[in-house]
Amino acid sequence: MNSSIFKLIQNVSAVSKSSAILSSQFHTSPALCRVVSGKYRITKKRDKPLTYEMANPPHYIAHRKTWNSWNTSSLKDGLRRPETALEDEFIRRFMNGTWHGLVCSEIIIKRQFNHIRVAAIIRRAVSPTKMYFLLGYSEELMANWLHCPVTLELQTVDSFKDVVFKYI
Amino acid sequence: MYSNIVIQRQWARLAGLFRTLSSLEGQKLPVGRKSIDGISPPVRISRSSTDILQALAATVGVDPTAPHFKYHDDPFLIPQSNYRKRAYALSAEAGRKAASWIRDEQSQLFTTREWDPPMKMKTPYHNADPPIDAFNPRPIYNDESKVTEEDLLYTIQNALLEDAIRVYQLLSASEGVNDDLKLALLQLLCFYNEKEPIAAEWLEERWFAAATRERQATTWRLGGLADKIFSAMDPKTPEAYCTVIQGMAKYYQAERAHALAQEAMEKGIPLSTSVYNALLSCVGFLKEGTTLRIEALKALLSQMNEQGISPNSDTLTSCLKSISAWGGGKALQTFALQIVAEFKQLNIQPGLSAYYYLLCLFCKERGPRIDVLTTILNDLEGRDSLEPTDAMDTHFFITAMGVCSEHLQNIDLADRVHALLMKDDNYRLVGDAYKESIYYRHLVSVACRHAPFEKTAQLLDTLIPNIYVPEPSVMEEIIKTLELAGAGDRLAEVWSQLVVFGLAKRVKLVERLLDALCNCYTYQDEEIKEKIRSAAADMLKFGQMVQEQNEPESRTPIQKLSASALTNIIELCADVKDKADESWEVVGEALARLRSEQASGLPSRPEVISSVAKKAATYGKPGLAATAVTYLAECGFEEATTACVETLGVMLNRPTDEVQTLLREPRSSLESSLHPSALVIAEAFHLAKTGAPIDSSASSESDSETSDDD
Repeated sequence: MNSSIFKLIQNVSAVSKSSAILSSQFHTSPALCRVVSGKYRITKKRDKPLTYEMANPPHYIAHRKTWNSWNTSSLKDGLRRPETALEDEFIRRFMNGTWHGLVCSEIIIKRQFNHIRVAAIIRRAVSPTKMYFLLGYSEELMANWLHCPVTLELQTVDSFKDVVFKYI
Repeated sequence: MYSNIVIQRQWARLAGLFRTLSSLEGQKLPVGRKSIDGISPPVRISRSSTDILQALAATVGVDPTAPHFKYHDDPFLIPQSNYRKRAYALSAEAGRKAASWIRDEQSQLFTTREWDPPMKMKTPYHNADPPIDAFNPRPIYNDESKVTEEDLLYTIQNALLEDAIRVYQLLSASEGVNDDLKLALLQLLCFYNEKEPIAAEWLEERWFAAATRERQATTWRLGGLADKIFSAMDPKTPEAYCTVIQGMAKYYQAERAHALAQEAMEKGIPLSTSVYNALLSCVGFLKEGTTLRIEALKALLSQMNEQGISPNSDTLTSCLKSISAWGGGKALQTFALQIVAEFKQLNIQPGLSAYYYLLCLFCKERGPRIDVLTTILNDLEGRDSLEPTDAMDTHFFITAMGVCSEHLQNIDLADRVHALLMKDDNYRLVGDAYKESIYYRHLVSVACRHAPFEKTAQLLDTLIPNIYVPEPSVMEEIIKTLELAGAGDRLAEVWSQLVVFGLAKRVKLVERLLDALCNCYTYQDEEIKEKIRSAAADMLKFGQMVQEQNEPESRTPIQKLSASALTNIIELCADVKDKADESWEVVGEALARLRSEQASGLPSRPEVISSVAKKAATYGKPGLAATAVTYLAECGFEEATTACVETLGVMLNRPTDEVQTLLREPRSSLESSLHPSALVIAEAFHLAKTGAPIDSSASSESDSETSDDD
């Protein structure tokens, strides 16, 4: 994508030095969006594991799979749009970092009133005692950060292979 | 025209406003009388903001078969044993503590805007609107922090005892503290005896807190900060006196408390009812001997009367607390009953803690059996609700159940106590984890001993494992009950429960279970027999597994199953009607362990082994039969000779006398004519008869061969 932008810039600068044209032609991503984003490339050996969520491209949302964030802020007249998006990203990164190497699925964030429920599938690589420590820690820290009750809804699987839907 | 209409509209509005005002006022006042048209709206009931939630919650009961909701709902994370329940709950709380430590230490991250550019002043930012105090960082006080009286007020109101002391010291060094705050701090110090309490936030820590029964010993800190603050106070207010006396009495500094009370009275300072209550509860420390103590108590009560102070229910509790601490005996018991009767005349009902002390007084372990519990229950069941008023209230149910199980041994009373505990939200009176488990220990043991079996089984099914995990002693009781009822099915399940609860390493329990299994094995269905056999086989395997795991460490000696227990396993597993059954392997394994002296003691029922030997011979397992009789002969059992003869008879398919003549032949001729296993049996026969093998050289070799090639 970067190289295409550079080519564009070169072409544009060759044709004309006007910045108006440059800005109007700068949008390169929409064309790629339908083809590439949210989809995974097939490997040569066909050994790349995909979960069910990854195996279904974005246009199957609400048909074969559902959303990863559940909230009402993106509806008409919804409140706190940017905050919600940012907080969701924060929660995802926090979970992936705190449960390092243990999260086997997408992190699902469900908001009801001021209550945030965070669901994920976790590998049974650490002892239950440690898991309980992390549970208490993440719930409390996120609650303190976001100023609302946070509940973790975890499910555990024996290994990452249990969530693999197919290999491509 | 226009103006008129406008005025009319305004009038309508005004009238409407008045109507709403009057109706609002009407709502505030209780509307009792009937209105003209005969419709009388009910009186408005004022409700708190959580009333609807509580009403909704009351419609959902607790599911005893599900794990407690503090545990995560996932098979991997659901605890099964007592140890795990405790460890999991406390780990989660440790995580929560770690998070709030980070919040307090790095408070700027939680209270300022993250996206302010560096080097600029940070803008205060709170995610919640309106701000929620519970999520805000708590202040940390150290020796450099600048404090004001507000900080002191905050720490006192939140019972942060150590912080309060630090802030007080900082403040008194700089500007001094006003008298109201000094008094508040003195109250805090006296209430907790200068020991930091566990914050109410940490539920699990409080629930699992080490169950130290508070000793009745002087723990009051002499010359501590409380004493200093009090002596520095000038003038000493009645509140200060009351506070210090109560603190001293609470922590059993009885003599000083009474001396201070005397001093206060001489100065003409009025004392409150709660001060007298505190003094009453430690009056026994001043005098020795029952009669003197009773007199002192009476004197204190009459002193109260002279001062014109009316007693309350705490007064009754404190009197009974003192009396129950003085031991037992007829005199004290009648005195206690007198006091209760007198308070009843004053229309003061004894609370739960008063009843607790009464139970302590009347139901001594080795005393005569006195049934005060029935009367107490009659009274308590008649009450609308049991409100906790005293810290000792939580001791009532555990003591009542203990009385039911050990003193009165009455299942009906136990049922009534349990029903009372389960009524409404009385369950909060159960206390903490330790008390809860003792309560259920008493309940289960009384049910095992005295209840009909169906009821016991139902109780066990509801309680175990989510509400209560039985301790070893209770488990033994349960096994005994199941054995008496002949419930082989449940007994077989007990083994898996033992493994799950982490009790399977307790050899005594396993042996008890094996005995029970053997005793009720014969009259079970075929299906259940199968289960019992697999349980027995599993016990043997589990023992081996534990041994293998433990060998490198070998710090703690591993307990091994006794020879009798192994015999029981052999008996159970040998009951099969098929040569190819896997149980024979287990029998062989158990016999090998018996012979290699891995088991302690000698089998109490050697006849089992001889019958198994015969059976093995019948089913074409000569190797097993040979090992069995050799073991019998080596141990020198009387049964060995007959067992040898019979087993050999079965093996060679000959009558007994023929076998006996055969056995008299010399070894050389036997060697050529007999199967190696049969030869081993012949050797065992000679060993049993003479005390020495026929030919001392060959016996050990040959049996090691034969055990393989059956």
